[in-house]
This record gives sequence, structure tokens and C-alpha cells, in this order.
Amino acid sequence: MKVYCIGLNHETAPVEVREQFAVTAPQQGEVSKEIAQLEGVEEAVVLSTCNRMEVYLVVENVEQADDFVKHHLAGQKVSRELDQHFYTKEDTHAVCHLCNVVSGINSMVIGETEIFGQVKEAYRQAHAKEATGGILNKLFQKSFSVGKKVRNQTQIQIGQTSVGSVAVDLAEKIFGHLKNSQVMVVGAGEMSRTTAQSLRSRGAKSIIVANRSHERAVDLANELKGEAVKFDEFDKVLAKVDVVVSSTGAPHTVILPEHVEAVRKKRKYRPIFFIDIAVPRDIDPKVGEIEEVYLYDLDSLQQLAEEGKSKRQEQVDYCIEIIETEVEKILL
Amino acid sequence: MEPSVGAHAASLCFALVAAIFGFLSLRKGKKSHWTIVLMTGAFIAQCAFLYFRGEMRGKCPLGDWGEILMFIAWSLTLFYMFIGPAYRVSLLGLFSTPLVSIMTGVALIPGLLESSPERITKGSVDAWGELHAALSVLSYGALALGMVAAVMFLVLDKQLKKQKLTGVLFKNMPPVFQLIALSKRLTWVGLVILTAGILSSFKMHNFSSNSPHLWTAVGVWVAYLGFLIWSEVIGMTPRSFAKCCGILFFASLVPFALI
Repeated sequence: MKVYCIGLNHETAPVEVREQFAVTAPQQGEVSKEIAQLEGVEEAVVLSTCNRMEVYLVVENVEQADDFVKHHLAGQKVSRELDQHFYTKEDTHAVCHLCNVVSGINSMVIGETEIFGQVKEAYRQAHAKEATGGILNKLFQKSFSVGKKVRNQTQIQIGQTSVGSVAVDLAEKIFGHLKNSQVMVVGAGEMSRTTAQSLRSRGAKSIIVANRSHERAVDLANELKGEAVKFDEFDKVLAKVDVVVSSTGAPHTVILPEHVEAVRKKRKYRPIFFIDIAVPRDIDPKVGEIEEVYLYDLDSLQQLAEEGKSKRQEQVDYCIEIIETEVEKILL
Repeated sequence: MEPSVGAHAASLCFALVAAIFGFLSLRKGKKSHWTIVLMTGAFIAQCAFLYFRGEMRGKCPLGDWGEILMFIAWSLTLFYMFIGPAYRVSLLGLFSTPLVSIMTGVALIPGLLESSPERITKGSVDAWGELHAALSVLSYGALALGMVAAVMFLVLDKQLKKQKLTGVLFKNMPPVFQLIALSKRLTWVGLVILTAGILSSFKMHNFSSNSPHLWTAVGVWVAYLGFLIWSEVIGMTPRSFAKCCGILFFASLVPFALI
């Protein structure tokens, strides 16, 4: 019996290929069961996410199983053109690969945590449909403990890798829980919306939107369950908010030091966090020189996100070391 | 060896090891889980030291600079043990343990601790005087820890302003708001205890309204009260608040020189 893995992921196949083989999340167990019933296949787990489609198998004959499984997934014989996108792993390599996937080092965003839950769910469904047996049960259980060990013993999850999440993390570093924080969004662009949504999802108390087109401000405010104000009133709102996300299309700076100076006393000099994600910048850099102001523009946020990515990348070698040691133990 | 010397050395060892462990853990990217345990050890040793010195003097052991420093270190450790775990303020131990170590270490400098303190005669103990001394020193523990939280804020503020957000120190720092709130709360607690300490001095046998010690202590009290009311009513930038906490704490040590 061999442990065998067939798969496609974001590195080997474009989305138009991946979607041809994709299985919807609730169907993973059912498809695992169908595959486990194919000739020569003893056990199967189908894992299908937006970035990967993989089948973990216990088979007698690798070549035969490979043909049958791909044919089953495609609903027809797989052309050579499509076949070139598949990768296959056998025995130790398959075990290592599963541990890499569970640990997040094989993900598009290295160290992301969602994949751990996705693999668990795929295995749960396959197990519930009795598509797994002694070998895959042991292998998946072990892979989960390896995944936990890798995440606990390395810094693979440390730092943020997107501008929005860096900004939200910074807001939490300043204000702690955001449940008492009020956010003002200046400009109703996509970036503002995404960042405001992240702040809202982390518990921001209220969101106020100011935009040159009041209609768009109202739309965004409704979407974010917030309140819209006229654009020329944003400086008055500054007195009460904690976080300002600015992303207007203005060709010049919109928020000036005098706007902030005017409300400092009223704010009792409480800290305020400005997130300037506009290009060209909306907030005069001199605003950042005011004592209680923390100002981050797109470049500094992007730099922090890049640092986060490269730090995670640096951790990959440590993760692989842990995985190899643990896989040796599994195989003993 | 005098038992008080052994207790003194033990408290220094515990505080130093806690500081070193905290620093090494931070370098490894972790928070030290041993800080609270080691600080408890330091606290027990400090209690023993103060007990032995109290026995030697026959009264509250605040007769020389060494005892005053040890008493403040004890008070700071006491507040750390209450505040640290209760508010889950990460790294408060890392910043507190060096301060406790310095105070305990400085108290070892020859001449700061009288080797054979004079024991007062039985019956001449002034309960109000003892209460005054104990409350005053206790208040300094809260004020010192408030200053520690303020220093932590200054470090975090600098990192946020300069956008140098790497390193385990930044990662483990509590949020800006939490540090400022903690510093403010501890300073208020310190002021309330200091008020009780000063009020109890009015009942002392040897109370003198012309004493420079009293007037400097009242001056410190007024400065703290004015500072806190200003920050609550008019407002103050967190950086100014933190700097004032530090300046006032060191200024507040002046009355001790005038005992």
C-alpha cells in the first residue's frame, strides 16, 4: 500500500484549470467516498480550497489510481495539456506535503491559518463518509499535531501581510480593543471600504463616512452600518474619532495640520491614528509631527506588510526542519 | 551573617534573576512565565528583610536610605504582583524587575544601611508615626509602578512614531491606551495613599508644622494632585503625561532626604 497525493495549486495551475477540478466544500466528503470506491483505491480524502485541489489516497497501484482519480474528477479522460498542471507525491513526500499544507507553508499567503481548518474539515467529511481507514486516519491526525507544533514553535504566523491587516493591527496596538473606537472614513473608495470593514470586523464602535459625493458616502455608510457626513464637515468630526482612514482621489492634501491643531484641546489630546492610503497622499506629513498623532501612509503600511511576508518566508526553513523530524517519527 | 543581610541578598538575587530571565525570554521572542514566580520570591525575601530590620529597630524600618529603598522596592513588588496578573499587562515585569534590582542593589552600598541601628525603647513607639511611614512608602510603590508604565508608553510611542515596529519588544507591548490608563490609575492610587500618609502625620507625637519634610511632602502632594486634575480636566498629551510621571516621581523622593 502506498500513500499517494495528486493535486493542483495556485503555483502549478491557473484558476481556469483549478476550477475544472474544484469540489464545493460541502461535497468533499461525498467525492472522497466516491474516489475511495474506485478500483485499487483503499482510502481517500479530497481537499478543495480556492487555491488548491488535492486528493490524498492509499492505493495499491499508483499509475492505475492516478488515471482513475483524475478521470473521476474531470468526468472524462484528462488531456495531456491539463495533466501537466498536476503534481503527485508518494509515501514520505506525500506525508511531508500534507504537513506543509497543514502548517501553511504551502499557502499563497505563507503561514495563513485558514488552511488548517480547511484540511480538518475535509478530513472530517471524508471520515464521516467512511472514506478513510487506518492509514489516512493516523496520517491526518499526526499532520494536525505537526501543524500545531510548527505554528507554536516558529514565527510563521507572526506579522501581517496585507496593508489592511497591518493598519488594523496598528489600531489595536494603539487603542487595544476597538469596541470603544470611532472611525472616520474620508473618501469612499475601495481601499477605504476594505480597511473600514476590517476595523468594523474587529469591533470598531462606529464608522462615519465623508465623501465629496454625499450620495456615495451614504451608500458606503449604509454598507458599513455607519453614518454619512458632508465632506466639508469632516474637520468637525475629527474632534471625536480615534481612527481616520483617508483615501480620496484628490490631487492635493486634504487633511492639514491646522485641522488637527484646531481639535486637539477638544479631544483632550487623546491619541489619533491616521491611515493615509491615497496616492497622492491625502494627509499632510506634518500632521504626523503632532505629538499624539500616529500617521501611516500607504508606503509605510506596504513596507510593514512586505516585512511581515519576508519574516514568514525566513521561517519556512525552520518549519521544514520540524516537519522532516516529525515525519521521520511518523514513519518509524 | 545577620538574617537581614541574607534576606537582602536573596531579594536581590530573585529580582536580578527575574530581570535576566525576562530579558532572555524577550530575546527569544517569548514572555517569561517565571517573572511572577521570581518576583514572589523577591517579595517574600523583602518581607523577611523588613521584618528583621523592624525587629532590630523596634519600629517600622525606615531609619536610613537603605531601608527606605528596600521599602519602596517592596511596595513596588507588591503593586506589581497585584496589577501585573490582574490587568495582564505584558512586559510590566520586564520593566519593573530592573528597577527593583537597582533599588535593592543600591541599598547594599556601604553606609546606606546602618549595620547596628539604634533600637528605640519600649513604649515610645508612635503608632501614627508608624502608619504615616508605612502609608507614605506604600504610596511610592504605586507611584513608581505608574512611572514604569509611563516609561513603557514612551518606548512604545517612540516605536510607533518612528515606525520601527519590528522586534519582540514591540510585539509584546500592551496597547498605548492600556499603558496610559494603567499609569493614570496607579498614580491616582498612589496619591490617595499618600494623602492618607500625610494626614496620619498630623497625629504624630512629634508633629511640627514647620518641618521642611512636611512642607516638601505637601508640595509633592499638591504637584501630583494638580498634575492629575490638569490631565483629567484640561487634558494632556500622553507623552507629556508620561514625562511628568517620571519627573514627579523623582521629585517626590526629596522629602525622604529631609526626614
